[in-house]
Amino acid sequence: MEGLTTVSIEDQIIDSFRATSDFQKTSLAQFKDLGIPLKKSEAYKFTPIKNILSKNFDWSAKSEFALNIDVKAHFYPIVKANHLVFLNGTFDIKKSIVTSDTSELVISAITEKDNLYNSLGIIADQKNDAFAAWNGAKTSTPLHIEVIKNTQNIPTFIYHFADSTSSESYSYPRIIVKSNSGSELSIYEKLIVSGDNNTFINSVIEAEVKDNASLKYTKTQDYPANVFAIEAIYGTQTSNSRFYTNTYSFSGSLIRNNIRLAIDGENCEGHMNGIYLLDNKSHVDNNTAVDHRAPNSYSNELYKGVLKGHSKGVFNGKIYVRPIAQKTNAFQSNNNVLLSEFATINTKPQLEIWADDVKCSHGCTVGQLDEDAIFYLRARGISREDAITLMLNAFTKDTLKEVNEEYVKNQVLDLIEKGLKNE
Amino acid sequence: MLKIENLKATIEDKQILKGINLEVKPGEVHAIMGPNGSGKSTLASVLAGREDYVINGGSITFQGNDLTELNPEERARAGIFLAFQYPIEIPGVSTTNFLKTAVNQVRKSKGLKPLDAVSFLKIMKEKMKLVDIDQALLSRSLNEGFSGGEKKRNEIFQMAMLEPTLAILDETDSGLDIDALKIVADGVNKLKTSENATIVVTHYQRLLDYIVPDFVHVLYNGRIVKTGDKSLALELEEKGYDWIKEEVGELA
Repeated sequence: MEGLTTVSIEDQIIDSFRATSDFQKTSLAQFKDLGIPLKKSEAYKFTPIKNILSKNFDWSAKSEFALNIDVKAHFYPIVKANHLVFLNGTFDIKKSIVTSDTSELVISAITEKDNLYNSLGIIADQKNDAFAAWNGAKTSTPLHIEVIKNTQNIPTFIYHFADSTSSESYSYPRIIVKSNSGSELSIYEKLIVSGDNNTFINSVIEAEVKDNASLKYTKTQDYPANVFAIEAIYGTQTSNSRFYTNTYSFSGSLIRNNIRLAIDGENCEGHMNGIYLLDNKSHVDNNTAVDHRAPNSYSNELYKGVLKGHSKGVFNGKIYVRPIAQKTNAFQSNNNVLLSEFATINTKPQLEIWADDVKCSHGCTVGQLDEDAIFYLRARGISREDAITLMLNAFTKDTLKEVNEEYVKNQVLDLIEKGLKNE
Repeated sequence: MLKIENLKATIEDKQILKGINLEVKPGEVHAIMGPNGSGKSTLASVLAGREDYVINGGSITFQGNDLTELNPEERARAGIFLAFQYPIEIPGVSTTNFLKTAVNQVRKSKGLKPLDAVSFLKIMKEKMKLVDIDQALLSRSLNEGFSGGEKKRNEIFQMAMLEPTLAILDETDSGLDIDALKIVADGVNKLKTSENATIVVTHYQRLLDYIVPDFVHVLYNGRIVKTGDKSLALELEEKGYDWIKEEVGELA
């Protein structure tokens, strides 16, 4: 009934909202200009985002974090780590635990008066990404992480707390990571939701990975059914750097992951790994792109999907190889197992290659479990359920190799195990 | 141990087994021979519990129990082992890994404690010698990229680990050169006791030079049409299957 509503969803969202800073004003103008993508938009073809959001949110709530919650109870029990807290999208340095010395890692809350404020919106493509622009208009107190040159760092955990106890809530976290040359950092992110009201997350991460630096960004998305999340990671890399994104999705009414990697230097490695193991009515859309803008670099993307119940998976992987990016090695693979006749997967690789001396490959598969293999294992005394678990564990686990933190890895393995068992 | 009476089975509405009668006692080796398409592999699959086949007559009794009531894993736990004609490749799952699960599930069904990693490895090393199989192979993805000989040796290795009461070897000789055949047969012979039994399903006689049967049955057109001792296998080797077909034709 889109055409009949008098107030557009964009107007609902920005109604009564006053942009104060230049960045907010610019972002707001960009958002108004772009509007929320319609169903006919190619990038949202299988995820009718505007309908979903219109149906589930009225955008009138104050979305304040009123809950008195013991955030520390949700921290991973790791002492030698930074534990950073967002409350409904606002970075709260007081509730966070910063263990790193500023000679290694500088963690700041960005305010409007701050010089750091100018670092917002440089890497994220707000001119084309309506959600990133929307986030820019609405974000308050973003987080800035600067990794000092040539330092190896303790893990950094980011916890997003959402309070949806009294009304629907909206979170617009923005995180800037600047990995200076030769530095190493791993970041792990998760979401903790209180309350049953619908919860909207629109997050943007902007990461700059400089020469010889390494950055690993891992998200575990095991969201309750009242969560609708649109999460972006924008990364740029210069020479000899390594950037990894690991995205493990298990549940949520809607999860859209936009990952954009721009490789601007030689001998870089860009990795995007992911699992989506879904059941019930979860809907996860992984929209990824790697843009090779310099020669001699390597990118690899590996996503595994297991779909049960009435779940829906969408995968779109783009590889761009610019004319200058000779000797690029770019690989992509997306494999899916459908365990239910009601589950769906839409997968689409997209390669645009303008250089002639490159090695690129992509492959996507969609299948059921091999019944012959299941019978083989059963004929050795293994129950059907355990045979399936054994096979799907093997199927998914190669996407986990870049997760160094045992707690996080085991949590993901547990979620896989749990997800596979609930037939 | 095993008693098959007037067993009939279909796949996709096609009648493959048309009334099989067979009795196997502990300590015995039975060979099932027959031309292609006679139903040999179907019989092996039906015994292992493959669900693609529908039993539409007769009975299978194993150690006094109705075997058809059991699903494949229950049959394996009860002591039935099928060495596959075409062992399946399973990416990402190693032999060691899945066998540990298998051995422990079989043990659990018998009320035994699961083996710890050390004991499991110790037993594994003993059994590896039986079929001259390399540990590196067992750490690799199951059957993936294995040669024909490696796949068949792996089957017998699994048999050694699971210590079945009734082993069914389905065309275990197919795709093997003579050296590999000897190793595989040697492994099977070493596992033979007075308590267990073996059914060897084969098209050719040559495997029976190494695994000597007490009985040879000829399966043709879904029925056992002739039973004899090992000399029957030699006769078949010499004369082929045509005379059997003629004999059956005359009877019909």
